[in-house]
Amino acid sequence: MAYLKTTLIGYTHYKGRTGQFSFLLHRLTGLGTVLFLAIHIMDTATVYFFPTLYEHALAIYRSTLFGVAEIGLVFCVLFHGTNGLRIAISDWFPRLWESETEHNWNLVTLAITLVLWLPLTGLMIRNLLIHNFGLFGG
Amino acid sequence: MASQNLSPVLEGAKVNLKPNFENIAWKWMRYSAVLLIPLVWIHVILQDVLVGVHRINLDYVTLRWATAGWRIYDVLLLSFAFAHGMNGLRQVLTDYIHPPKWQRVISWLILLLWLTITAIGAVAIIGGVRRG
Repeated sequence: MAYLKTTLIGYTHYKGRTGQFSFLLHRLTGLGTVLFLAIHIMDTATVYFFPTLYEHALAIYRSTLFGVAEIGLVFCVLFHGTNGLRIAISDWFPRLWESETEHNWNLVTLAITLVLWLPLTGLMIRNLLIHNFGLFGG
Repeated sequence: MASQNLSPVLEGAKVNLKPNFENIAWKWMRYSAVLLIPLVWIHVILQDVLVGVHRINLDYVTLRWATAGWRIYDVLLLSFAFAHGMNGLRQVLTDYIHPPKWQRVISWLILLLWLTITAIGAVAIIGGVRRG
C-alpha cells in the first residue's frame, strides 16, 4: 500500500493552488454523485420489484438529514458539470491550460457553480422548512 | 503572445494512437459528459428542487412514466450517467491501486456491478410501477 500512501501524502504537499483544489473537488463530487446514483437506481427500482418499499425509501429521503445531504448532492452535480465543461473547453483551446489563465477559470467555475447552487439551495431549504418544520403554512 | 512558453502538446500537436479500451473509455467520458450536463441538471432541478421529494410518491412515478418521453429520458439517464460514473470510479481506484493484477480485478468487479445495477434499473423502467 506504499503507493497509496505516497499519493495521499502528495495531495497535502503538492502546492497546485486552485488547479489542485479543482482536481480534488472534481474527484470528490464525482465519487459522491456516483455513490448516490447507485443507491438511487436501486430505490427507484423498488417501484417495480417491491412497490411497498418505495414509500419507505422516500420516508428516509424526506428526513432533515437527507434533505441537507440533498443540498450537497446538488452542489456535487453542479460543480462536476461546470468544471467538466471547463476541462472540455480547455482541451479545445489549449491556451486556457496556461497556469494563470487556468487559475482564473477555476475561480470562474466555482463562481458559476455558486451562482447556480445558492438559489436552488434557498428553494430546497424552503421545502424543508415547509414539510419538516411546518413553516410557511406547511 | 506567449506561444513560445507552450509545450508542443499545448500547441495542439496531433498524436496518432491506435484506439484501445482506455482510449474508447476516455472518449465515452467526454462525449457522455456533454449530454449529461443538460440531462442531469434538468432531472435534478425538476425532481429535487421544483417538485421535491415530499411530493414524490408511487402515483407521481406512475404519472411520469405514463409519458413515453420521460421513460426514454430516464433510460438515457440510466445508460449515460451510471456508465460515466462507474468508469470514473474505475479511473479513480486504478489511480490509487497500481498492481496490474488488482487493477484487472477492480475493472471486472466494477463491470459486474455496473451491469447488475443497470439491468435492475432497466427492468424497473420498462416494467413500470406495479400495483399490489
